[in-house]
Amino acid sequence: MKRSRSQLRVISLLLLAAVGHASSRPRYGGTARILLPYRVNSIDPLADEDHPATRDRMARLAFETLTEVDARGHLRPRLAKNWQSDASKRIWQLRLRLVSFHDGTVVTATDVVASLRTAEPAWRYTANDPQTITIETPSPILHLPEMLALERFAIVKRQADGLLLGTGPYRLTQWQPGERALFAASENYWGGRSYPDAIELQMGTNLREQLLQRQLGPYAAAELSPDGVHALDQSGQEVVLSRPADLLAILFLQPDRPSASARKKRIDPRLRQALALAIDRAAISNAILQKKGAPASGLLPQWLTGYEVLLDVPFDRARARKLAADAGLGASPGSIALGYDSADPVSKLVAERIAFDASQAGITVRPYAESHINSKSAQSLLSVDAVLLRLPLESLEPSVALAALAGDLGLDGETGSLALSAARPEDLLQAERKALESFRVVPVAHADQALWLNSSTHNWQLLPNGSWDLEQLWMEGVR
Amino acid sequence: MSLKTKLLLLVALSIAGSVGAVAWLIEERAHDSFREIEKERTAALVNQFRREFDHEGEEIARRIETIANSEAMLRLVMEDNGGDFSSHMSDAAGYASSQGLGFLEMIAPDGATISSAHWPARFGYKQRWFLDSPALRPQQPFLKHMETPQGSKLALLCLRPVHGHGADFYLIGGRTLDAVLDSLSPPEGLRVTIYSSPEQGEPEILGQLKDGVDLAKLTPLIQQVLTPQSSATQGNEKRGEAWRIIDWGPGAVEEEIVHAIALPGYSDRVPAVLLVGNSLERETALETRIRNISLTIAGVGVALGVIVSGIITARLSRPIKRLASAAAAIGHGDWDVRVEPGSRDEIGKLAAAFNLMTQELISQRERLVQSERVAAWRELARRLAHELKNPLFPLQITVENLLRARETTPEQFEEVFRESTATLLEEINNLKTIIGRFSDFSKMPAPRLEAVDLDELVRGVIQLVQGQLARGPARVETELELGPVPAVRGDPVLLRRAIENLVLNAIDAMPRGGKLTFRTRQNHRSVVFELADSGEGLTTEECARLFTPYYTTKEHGTGLGLAIVQSVVSDHGGQISVSSTKDCGTTFHMELPLWDSRDESHHRERGATA
Repeated sequence: MKRSRSQLRVISLLLLAAVGHASSRPRYGGTARILLPYRVNSIDPLADEDHPATRDRMARLAFETLTEVDARGHLRPRLAKNWQSDASKRIWQLRLRLVSFHDGTVVTATDVVASLRTAEPAWRYTANDPQTITIETPSPILHLPEMLALERFAIVKRQADGLLLGTGPYRLTQWQPGERALFAASENYWGGRSYPDAIELQMGTNLREQLLQRQLGPYAAAELSPDGVHALDQSGQEVVLSRPADLLAILFLQPDRPSASARKKRIDPRLRQALALAIDRAAISNAILQKKGAPASGLLPQWLTGYEVLLDVPFDRARARKLAADAGLGASPGSIALGYDSADPVSKLVAERIAFDASQAGITVRPYAESHINSKSAQSLLSVDAVLLRLPLESLEPSVALAALAGDLGLDGETGSLALSAARPEDLLQAERKALESFRVVPVAHADQALWLNSSTHNWQLLPNGSWDLEQLWMEGVR
Repeated sequence: MSLKTKLLLLVALSIAGSVGAVAWLIEERAHDSFREIEKERTAALVNQFRREFDHEGEEIARRIETIANSEAMLRLVMEDNGGDFSSHMSDAAGYASSQGLGFLEMIAPDGATISSAHWPARFGYKQRWFLDSPALRPQQPFLKHMETPQGSKLALLCLRPVHGHGADFYLIGGRTLDAVLDSLSPPEGLRVTIYSSPEQGEPEILGQLKDGVDLAKLTPLIQQVLTPQSSATQGNEKRGEAWRIIDWGPGAVEEEIVHAIALPGYSDRVPAVLLVGNSLERETALETRIRNISLTIAGVGVALGVIVSGIITARLSRPIKRLASAAAAIGHGDWDVRVEPGSRDEIGKLAAAFNLMTQELISQRERLVQSERVAAWRELARRLAHELKNPLFPLQITVENLLRARETTPEQFEEVFRESTATLLEEINNLKTIIGRFSDFSKMPAPRLEAVDLDELVRGVIQLVQGQLARGPARVETELELGPVPAVRGDPVLLRRAIENLVLNAIDAMPRGGKLTFRTRQNHRSVVFELADSGEGLTTEECARLFTPYYTTKEHGTGLGLAIVQSVVSDHGGQISVSSTKDCGTTFHMELPLWDSRDESHHRERGATA
């Protein structure tokens, strides 16, 4: 774990060096306009969204968590000033910072307990005094403070009229679901007013077209897909990349344990393994992701854990063919309907490549574009056998990241529990092995997050997992 | 079938046959003309397709050439990247888009796909069909199926090598045949499609006019041009070409002549077949029109023919009908009927001959009646003389005995007188009886008609004669095969008397005993009573004369019994007949009309009047 921390430190320094233009003095004012490829319908961190990573980026502007993990992977206080736990690591006491919501009301322990209880009802909460809370978990969680840094544990005051109040550096002033969001700088932010007056996010934009038409002038930043990176590279624009953080993985929707309510056909585990062996991950990583990613054999990337190489799944077409034949008992093993996110062109290409690789091993995979592939409520309604998901790395703390991924993938609670109680990297490796052994989840690649930055945009920190740290962001050339 | 009907039929058939023959000839001529025109139109369309095909091929080749000569392409083939072309994965899509190509693949010298515009995910896939067999490497535009995520698609392609550092890269690009098909302007009634036959996957029909095409119906025709051995010249068909009439069934186009022309690929395998469909709608419509006009002409002709021939045949057949009616009337006993000759032709002469024949028949009949009447009177006289002679002879002897006794033995006269007077009285009674019988026959009463149960009546008669049947020297057995039958219209007393007469007559016919069979059954509107004996039977002559009054075959009969029976049956509106076989017996058949509701009401009225 120490090794991975040191790696993180180096990476972050490199990123900061690349991104930060610290030579100029920060200036107040201006609106940072950001283009996002996906659409978000709610900024509530607990809403079931098609693109939760995009939602979390917006939510982070308005809502804060009790703790945070910085670019170096260090745990830092945020709304909680300090914390302590008992020896069993089950009971945690957190002392809150004296801050106000955007409506001016003081954040109390009761508000925090209400917000956390909505996020995680299984835990017990106690408001000891207006500034102290106690969290009691059913089982030991070694990294509870890191876990509380996940956006889902952001402190949100949910009002009766549906309005959400936060304590973040920006407050939401205009909201057009799926289209546009405008955040104004909070003048009374406890950490000091942000430099830009506002941040405007425009959703569902076709960046490639805008790049080709050189219409990016008014914008501060834009999220990019790999082909966009290629286009910008050729035009000499500034592009920053995260580490290969996003997990591209196939998730078979039929659970391993048969249930009465299961409607989907069960794909033979040998066929799932055959598919895992048939995928040419290097080709996907090199060509489709344009080397802005890495082949994935585990859920967490190598740079974060250091053990992913031990989970290596070889590209073995002959063995895949044999396994597929065994699964079909000499006959055709049947076809796998693979859903992918219709809004993500990279997912489409990856799904088609998987289908192509599978066909070379005698497995029929039919890709289908689906519009709500990441929404858990929608997943149960999909008619496909498997989905190709692109999941963000939610934490730079490996245990928490694995637990979050297990939750996002809908794996059984055992993986999450093992991850959260893992004291050593070996324990985490064991937990990940267990999650992958049934081939219900087939990792394909870890993809970089790419971001185009306008030359007038300064101090935009892109964390190794693709998260944004806009604390020091300022815009040049504005009044 | 009447003469008139026969004549009408003959006329109608002649007209219909003539019109049908003319219509068939016209249809055949029209059919041949259509075929000629269809061949010319198809040939013109196929030529147009070939021109457009060549033009499209040249255009594709020009565009591929443009890509091959582009700066970016030249940079690609010259760059030293150690075989890693991953950064060019999306290049083909850009080139294809800029050059308007649906398919484009950039191939590395080792055959690996650097970039594919139509299937981007296929990068790295090696295809060596043109590397392993340089002889097969097409120099001209060619047809081939390109693999896409949606399956094999037929494309018109060009292959262009691009020279790099000591090795050749390749560009394979092209388009579907949609542009070629769209550029065609087939005349009305013609349509053109392409049958695509991929090496793997299901065949499909391409083009805008694929609606209503049933692949199964096309299969034999397509096999004919796809199979190498059958693509040889067959009859009038050229190599790789065939045609067939296809009935698509109910729909927009029901019948079509479809020409199939094989479209060659880069190898011996035929990847596609050009299908030119020529609708037979116009031909069918013309045929239908000819048929309808023929039917109308035939119908009008037949109608006119029937009317005209009807008038003619009516004039011809009217005197013949009059003759037939007159003959029928004579048959029914109306001897006074005459036929007007009307004309002096054969029909008039026939009428005159008929009248002459009728005249002759009437005179012959009168002579026959007269002679029969004379014969009857003679028979009556003979019978009367015979009957009266028998009692007269004893009377004469007795009177002569009386006279002789009075002269020779007066003392015994008194005794002789008493004996003689007794004898005289007895003979006089015999004479009275004979005269009474004749008197009865002449005074047969009119029947009082009512509903009579014939079965019941027969059973009553059998009961009456039962004793007589058993008492005689020879035993007569009876057998009943009675109905049940409905009531008949009759006088029960007279009918009973008639049946008794028949039974007694039958008993007399079986002096040595035998069997009497009584049968009743219904026959349409009448009931039949049959009495069969097992006697010696009668000759045909005897049968013919059996019902003649005073005719008898018995030694002591009056010959009136069966005549009375016939008289009774006749008075009831019935019929009686006899059939007999020598040595097998005789059967009498008596048929009486049924009692019906009108008889019932009439009977009630008569009863009320009484």
